[in-house]
Amino acid sequence: MKKILAFLAISMTAGYALADAPITGNVQSRCVVTTDTPGVYGNPNAYTLTTSPSDGGVLPIVRFDVTLADAYYAQITTPTEFTSSPSLSDTVTWTGSTEVSAVSDATNMGDYETNKTTFGATTQYDLTATGSTWFKSSSAAAYGGNKAFPGGQYSATVEAKCIAQ
Amino acid sequence: MDGLLVTEMEIFNKRSDVSYYEIGVFDKDFQPIPFVSSFTVYEVNYLKKVKFEVYIRRKDEPQVTYICSRSRVLEQKVSNTSVTSTICSKIKRK
Repeated sequence: MKKILAFLAISMTAGYALADAPITGNVQSRCVVTTDTPGVYGNPNAYTLTTSPSDGGVLPIVRFDVTLADAYYAQITTPTEFTSSPSLSDTVTWTGSTEVSAVSDATNMGDYETNKTTFGATTQYDLTATGSTWFKSSSAAAYGGNKAFPGGQYSATVEAKCIAQ
Repeated sequence: MDGLLVTEMEIFNKRSDVSYYEIGVFDKDFQPIPFVSSFTVYEVNYLKKVKFEVYIRRKDEPQVTYICSRSRVLEQKVSNTSVTSTICSKIKRK
């Protein structure tokens, strides 16, 4: 028996079928993720890197645009490691959090922040309304034993996922 | 092709800071499932679309739940902080 599968598509359009009986089931994009602000680490002291604006950093902001309500989760994960850095001989302690920065529909998105769930470095929001939501994340890295970070280029990544329910 | 299932996917890039997207196939727990496509990383320029096919084994079909695209940044373009975006389409079985 052939099974016909269809995608609930987000930024991808999709049709799914048996190879010998292709079925085209294109659907429209429903979720788009864009970077509003990449973010910058400030260096308030020798052993701390932080995106806190009061310490010279810039908070990364990600925007989710959804055109179908109750269909997606937004998952934003703050960094737990550097994507590139000089060689580090001691441990790095990471802290981070994510919160709603702005919404396009205050009436229907007003409870996003109170209804969020957090697990580890990941914060999940149930995108129950259509429109745009901006999420800002904070991130800080502290080098072990309050030792000075070695000089060099440090990079880290915030991961933003839009997952169909 | 016996033993294979295929789907056609399309990626639309709305990020001006990203030109490459990696694709992956996952089960409900986001464990990777083997697949074949022309590439695993596709170059998709800003506001452009790229279509491609994804093949999976028929025996893996019951587990396949998500097909995802994940933005990739060239190493030499990595800045102080960057944002990786992942979009996952979910299979709805009829």
